[in-house]
Formats: sequence, C-alpha cells, structure tokens
Amino acid sequence: MAEDPAVLEDLAFVTLLLQYVANGLAAGSLYALVALGVVLLYRCSRVLNFAHGDVSTLGVFLAFSGLVRGWPYSLALTAGLAGAALVSAVFYRALIRPVRQPTPLSLVITTLGFALFLSGLMVWIWGTDTKVFPFPLSEVRVYRLGEVVVSELTGGSLAAGLTLVGGLTLLVHRTRLGLAMRAVAQNPVAAQLLGVPAGRVLAATWAVAGALGAAAGMLLAPAVLLDPFMMLDPFLKGFAAAVLGGMDSLAGAVVGGLVLGVAESLFAGYVSVKYKATLSFVVIVAVLLARPEGLLGRPFQRRV
Amino acid sequence: MVQLRTSYAQDLRLVSSWTGWLGVVLLGVGLALLPLLAPRYVVYVATMAAVHTLVAVGLNLLVGYAGQISLGHAGFFAVGAYTHGLVLTRLGWGFWPAFAAAAVVSLLFGYGVGVPALRLSGPYLAVATMAFGLAVHQVLVNWEALSGGRSGLFLPEVRLLGGSLKDERMLYGVVVAVTVLLVLAAARLVRSYVGRAFVAIRDSDVAAELSGVDLTRYKTLAFALSALYTGVAGALLGHVVGFLEPQLFTLFESVYFLSLVVVGGLASITGSVLGAVLLTLLPQVLSGVGEALNVLYGAAVILVLRFEPGGLYARWLKIQRYWRTWPL
Amino acid sequence: MHRVWWLLGVLLLVLPLGSFAQERGVTAEEVVVGTSMPLSGPAAYWGAVGRAMEAYARYLNDQGGIHGRRLRVVVRDDSYLPPRAAANVRELVERVGVFAIVGLIGTANAFAVRDYIVRNEVVWITPTADATIWYGFRDKKYLFVTYPSYVEEAKILVDYAAKQLGIKTVAVFYQNDLYGQKGLLGAKQGAVRSRVRLAAQVPYEVTQTDVSSEAVKLRESRADAVLLYATPRHGALIVREMAKLGYTPKLLSSFTLGDPIMFALAGEAWNGVISTAFFPLPGTGDSRVDEALAILTRVDPALRANPFNALAGWAFMEPFVEGLRRAGRELTRERFVTAMGSIRGWDGQVIRQVTFGPDRRQGTNRLFLTRAEGGRWTRLSDWISYPVGF
Repeated sequence: MAEDPAVLEDLAFVTLLLQYVANGLAAGSLYALVALGVVLLYRCSRVLNFAHGDVSTLGVFLAFSGLVRGWPYSLALTAGLAGAALVSAVFYRALIRPVRQPTPLSLVITTLGFALFLSGLMVWIWGTDTKVFPFPLSEVRVYRLGEVVVSELTGGSLAAGLTLVGGLTLLVHRTRLGLAMRAVAQNPVAAQLLGVPAGRVLAATWAVAGALGAAAGMLLAPAVLLDPFMMLDPFLKGFAAAVLGGMDSLAGAVVGGLVLGVAESLFAGYVSVKYKATLSFVVIVAVLLARPEGLLGRPFQRRV
Repeated sequence: MVQLRTSYAQDLRLVSSWTGWLGVVLLGVGLALLPLLAPRYVVYVATMAAVHTLVAVGLNLLVGYAGQISLGHAGFFAVGAYTHGLVLTRLGWGFWPAFAAAAVVSLLFGYGVGVPALRLSGPYLAVATMAFGLAVHQVLVNWEALSGGRSGLFLPEVRLLGGSLKDERMLYGVVVAVTVLLVLAAARLVRSYVGRAFVAIRDSDVAAELSGVDLTRYKTLAFALSALYTGVAGALLGHVVGFLEPQLFTLFESVYFLSLVVVGGLASITGSVLGAVLLTLLPQVLSGVGEALNVLYGAAVILVLRFEPGGLYARWLKIQRYWRTWPL
Repeated sequence: MHRVWWLLGVLLLVLPLGSFAQERGVTAEEVVVGTSMPLSGPAAYWGAVGRAMEAYARYLNDQGGIHGRRLRVVVRDDSYLPPRAAANVRELVERVGVFAIVGLIGTANAFAVRDYIVRNEVVWITPTADATIWYGFRDKKYLFVTYPSYVEEAKILVDYAAKQLGIKTVAVFYQNDLYGQKGLLGAKQGAVRSRVRLAAQVPYEVTQTDVSSEAVKLRESRADAVLLYATPRHGALIVREMAKLGYTPKLLSSFTLGDPIMFALAGEAWNGVISTAFFPLPGTGDSRVDEALAILTRVDPALRANPFNALAGWAFMEPFVEGLRRAGRELTRERFVTAMGSIRGWDGQVIRQVTFGPDRRQGTNRLFLTRAEGGRWTRLSDWISYPVGF
C-alpha cells in the first residue's frame, strides 16, 4: 500500500500542511503572549500601549546583561522580568496616571513617545548589532513528530503561552488583585469609593503586563536573535491578534494570536509569500466586519 | 479682556483681533521672504514641513474633529503620490491635471476605506486602517509593472509658470501656496455645518444621529476629505524627493503623522500646523546627535503630552490668555 | 504683540549665516567630508560604517593629516529615510560646507540625493548601493565608486556552484528590496549562463522576524544550493530554520554576510558557506587588513562588535584620501578629480587594485570567493573580474 504513488503524494501533502500549521502555531503562540499583555492593559486602563514591545525588549536586554556577566538563568531571567515590570509600572505612575484630563489619543501617543525613548536608549546602551540570547531551551534541537519538525524552543513557548494564559485567567478571576482589577476596569471611580486603591491596582496591572511582555520577548529572542528592534513586528502582530480576538478577552488574545500565526503561515505556503501579511490582515478585517468586537469580545453596549 | 462672541458672523471669522491680523500679515511676509533670504536647505526643510502640515491638517479633520482613528494614512499618502507620479510619467499629463487626478483618486480611496470603517471604532478601527496601509505598501513593493517596485518611480522635470520644480524655491512656492489654500479651506470647513457634524459625531454618534446628522454620509466624508488632503500632500512629496519608493510610505509614517496631530493638538488647525512644523524641524535640528535622536525626540513628545495633554495648541491658548489679561 | 516676537524668533532661527570659503570644505587647516547614515531606527546597524569613517579620520589626523590638513568627518543621521537623507546632504553642502560626501547607505537614499549632488557638482565617494544603478549614468564627473555589483556577484557565485560544486538547481532567498532583487537578477542571469535551474525564489521583508515558512518553501524546492541575499540576522535565521528541517543544501551568500558575526548568530550551520569578498577579510592571513581592524577598534572600541562594517568604512574612505594625497597641498575640486583619475591599480590597506580614469568611475570590478569554516574564512579562488560598467 505504501508503494502507491498517489498515497505517498497525499501523505507528503498532509505532512507539508501539518508543517505549515506547526510553524504557524509556533509564531502564533508568541503573538498570543504579546496580545495578552496588550489586552490586559486595555481592559484595565483603556490605554493602547505602543511601548509594550519596547518594554519587553528592555526586559530581555536586562536579562542578557545578567547572562553575559555569568549569572545563572534563574537569576538573570527573573531580573529581566522584574526590570520590565518595574519600568512598566513606573512609566504608568510617572507619565500616564498624573496626566490631567487626558484624551485616549494623547495617552496612546505618550506610549509611542516612550517607545521611541526606550528603543533609542537600548541602541545607545547595547548597540544595534544582532546578539545571540542564551536560553535553556534549544532552538536547534528538534522533535520529530512523524515528518513534522518542531524545535524544543517552539514546544516550550507554546507550553509557556498556555501556562501564562491559565495563570493570568486565574489571577484575574480567582484572586483579590484580579477582583480589584476587574472592578477598576469596570468603573474606576466607583471602585475607589468602595476602597479599592485604583492607582496601585493599575500600577500592578502595568507591572504584570510588562513582565508578560518580557516573558514573550525571552521566548522570542533565542529564536529570532536579539536586537533593539526585535519586538517591532511581533508587537504589531500581537496588537492585531488582540483586536482579532477581541480587546477585552484574554482567551480571545490567545485564539487571535494562533489564528493569525496559522493564517500567515498557510498564506505564505500556499498562496503568496509576498502578500502574506496583507492576506492575513484581510482576514482580520473580514472578521471585524462580521464581528466588530472581535472573535471573543463582548458586543459593544452604549448608553446615551 | 475676555472676548465674548455676540453673533454668528463672529463665530465664523478666522481672525478676530488686530493682533491676529498683524500675525497673519507677518506670517505671510515671513513665508514669502523665506525662500529669498534663507539658504536653500532651509527652504527644502520648510517645503517638507509644509507637506507634513498638509497631512497633519487632513488627519486632524478625521481624528481630531470626527473622532475616528487611522493608522493607515501612509496608504493615502502613497495613493496620492503614485497617482500623481504615474499620471505624469505614463499619461504625460501636465502638473495640474496630474495633481487633480491624485486628489480625486485619494478621495475615492478615502470613501472606500470609510465604508468598512463605519462599523469599527477605537483599536478595531486602528487595526483595520493599519491593514489598508500595509496592503498599499505591499502592492507597491510587489506590483512592479505598476509602481516600479523598489527600483522607484522617477518623476520627470515639471515646468510651471516659467520655472522648474527641480528648483527648491519654485517648489517651495507651489507647495506653500497649495498648503496655505488648503489649510484655510480646512479652517473654514470646521466652522461650517460639515465641521459641526464631525464634532457631533465625535462627541456622541448616537446623539448626532438623533439630531439629524447622517452618520454614513459624514463619517465617510471625513475619511474622504482626510484622504484628499493626505493624497495631495503625497503628490507634492514626489516633487520634493524627486522619486517615489514604497519605503517612503510605511507604517512608521502613519504613526508619525498621528503623533504630529496629537502633539500639535486635536481638533485644532493651528495646532496641526504647529505640530507638523516643529516635529519636522526637530529631527533635522538634532541630526547631529546621532544615536541619541530617538531618546530626545521621544522625551520631547512625552513631556509635551505629560504637561499638556491637549497638545501645543492648548499651551498656545494659555499663553494668549496670559497676555490678554496681562498684567493681572 | 507676543506673536510678533514669536515670528521674529522663528525668522532668526531659520536665518543662520552661510559660510563662504575659497573651495567649499577646504581651509588651511582642514578638509571637511560629510555623510548621512542610519544612526537611529531599525537600520542603525549600518551606522557603524560612519563611526568607522570617523575613527579612520582620527587615526589619520594623529599621523599628521594629509598635506598638513586635518580630516573632519561630519556624520548626520537619516534613520534610513530618503527625505531626511536629502535634507542632510543639503545641510552638509550648504551650511557645513563639505568638500565631499562619502558613503550614504541604501539605494533609495542615493536616488533621493542624486540630482542635487549632480546639480551642485559635489564630489561623491562610494554610495553603498548596487553598482549597476550607475551603468549608463552620464553625470558622473564627481562620482567615484569602489562598491561591488550584486548582480555580477550573484553571477560569479552561481557560476562557481555550477562548475566547481556540480550544482544543478539553485534557490534564492532574498530581501525584497533593491539589494535582494539585484542579487536575484544576477542569479537568474548566472543560471541561464551556467545551465542551472532556478528552483525557487523566496523573498522576505526586512521587518519580518519569523522565516520558518520561507524555510519550508526552500526545502520544498529541493534545490542543491541556496543563495542568500539577506541581512546578517535573516541570513542566520533562515540557515538555522533550514537546518532544523533537516534541509542542508550548499549555501552561497553575498559579501555582505562575510561578517564574523555570522558564526555567532548562525552557529554550526554557517560552516561551509561560500561567499564573495571585495577586500581581504580579517583573519585570513592578510596582515594589513588585520592591522587596519586593530587600529579602528583601538580608536573606537565600540567598533569591535561590527568588524565588517568597520572595515567597509575604512575601505570607502581610503581611495578618497589617496585622491587628496595626489591632489597636493593646493586642493581644489578640479585638481582632486584629476588626481582621482590618475589612480591606476592602486593598493590601499583594505581595498586593493583601485583603478579610475578620465572616464572611468567604477574603481573596482573584482571579487574573490571564500569559504567559512569554524569561525574563519579560507580563500577559495583568485580575484575574479567582471566588466567595468561605468
């Protein structure tokens, strides 16, 4: 039976398809991690954070500096996560929260200014040359599932992505902090009147988002090599994924990321490498036209 | 002395005081003298600033007045630039017909993007418009028969009023004249029914609809007008740079345009002019600092918005008020 | 009234005084050259070329300069944006008053300033863009180029693969801009000439970070060899992705990947890559190049991370400095152009065999092949020449 050329061809076709899907899931899991941070911030503070990618990269660079000084992985990576969390929270307390009568757009552009500032700073400190980011999981060691190849790192980032989604969902829905986050998201003034320290809760949210971004960056850096602009493309894709999934849904961020990753990979494989970004965005726009609130977002409700 | 308006005509006036008129006259004289007195590279940078002013004013009509976001204005910029360039080179039309073609085609693209945008808002609209910008860029890169791809599209020498557009001063004259006219038109527009309809939609589209504003019509109109301004600026950009290449029209440009509008001040024509001029000059003035450029540029943007979320225009109003009431 | 002051302030800002010298950029004490580079933004990697040019000038000045004049390099940042590059060049020429523009990275930036430079008769040394863009270019009096052609390079690589390695099919992985597209064009021409089949052409965008689907495409082409026209980062990524898939074709790459950083980025997978070079690479037994690199990294230690770009900066400046030497103490643009035209078969410390002439502006037209192995290059061939195009 295995000799039959038609069957062999079918098999080859299926293998190839699975390989494209696997590649798409690998890229998508990283988009999902970025999207989670974007959604978390948007839900709680209604700020679209364009500096998310740069805060993440900064965390990776901090970890990198520790690693080249010979720190163990556990210490260096933790320091990176903590650094990104701190920078993110301080940015919020110092430059976002104190603004009187902000408009949503002025906050967006403030984050954009911060993104430029951080990327400039990273270029200044670490230079623009591409660097190898050492990591416990190997990008080169691979698992073979039949004919489909998946690297150890890809498996790791998929697992990490799912774990972080689970953890984040628990955090938001099962802890006191999460309850406070949701309360602040729903109505900051009422939450404050009821004794929720809105400022601290939001700062904590920004810290969590920063650490989440840095985690995504640390999984990305060994695969795509480290430089100050590493997160540019993943951030935009993550943002698009967040919108695709629905800006107020954590599960949506993951679904959006994976769908976007797979769509891109399949378009590149079967339709056109040159137009893969355009085609995947066409998919997003088509989804949004059918469901303006994204795949898993709650429909808009408005009171006049 | 606080100025209260007592009639509709006063509300429509663009300039309302003798100091205002003096400022306008001086600005006019300054703009006219600049190419004669300043070195040519300053004229060049001023021309670039005028092009950005046009974009900022156009984008502000959409973002500041009508309350819609766009991360795809580089797309309209490109549509205008390439329409103008292609009509000049392929059809061999003159400058003004090609210019008009760029305006019309960008306007149509604006309507095209405006229709799906009716259903979207906020980040959703941002991503949808970003998709438009990306698509335009990829088409220009890959459809080489149309655009020349990455090899670029070179604009022919255009003669106008007995001069060549390759001459910085001539080009400055044309660009600034077009910019001044369109900025004045925008200033009139936002004081008209259309402008008030935009603002009503921004503040509450449901309430606007209840008051008789046709949402479909005015939302798409906002996109179309904004695209027209941006496309016209694109057409002029072609002459400033001398050739067109898709890399002039990336997402970074779209984001940069948005920053011009917000730093200048949302819903203010004067603010857009201020924002565009200052943020075009800033990197040029700082070009000697090298790596530190983005650090300084980013810090400047942050500081402006940290202390003046309303943008430069809000600060300008405060300064004006201070002087009006001086020495109190 | 405050508006009046405001306007006066603006007018004062925009009216700096121009400086007028006898020959622009030349005084009794110094010669000023200018360049515009991406120092900020995603392309800032190339900015090291500008730093190296400055470091080289500092080294020369410590040696006493040229004919008693110090060399001053003014670097402006363009973030890789053509309008900014155009403004920078105007400022360099009109306000700073430079004698020459050296370098300028990227074809788009070169196109954006070309007309201006020609109209103003500015000396322009080696814009780093594919040399074929100047073929048939008439206004080249003040232009001197020692940068290779990607088209010719790709032809040489494909020829070599066909004749020496017995390759029958080749695939091209290229950056979707003029750099990659010129490489692709050369690969197509080379394939026709050497009867090799072009099995696939897979582009990527420079902003892209994930190239796994591109690697699958290349594997599906089953080409015997893959030709790389990419940035160091994307070159390393694609090679690693292909290795992961178990696809190990012969690898050929542009000279731009002749960077020691590739061994760090791509690891084992970079062994056996065949690329070209337009100057002897450091650590290949050429003591003068090693010495040049040692000097540059001593003057500016930050260049250590970027040895290839550092040497490129030196290589671009070197023929210009030779022209200054030959022009003598009485330096004018015309004398300089004549002096440059007299350079024949000249060996610099990094760039070799430079020849200009009264009508020849392409200073070098040869490359040689190298093979990467365990962090070093070994030379595979003698210099291979291609026809002079301008």
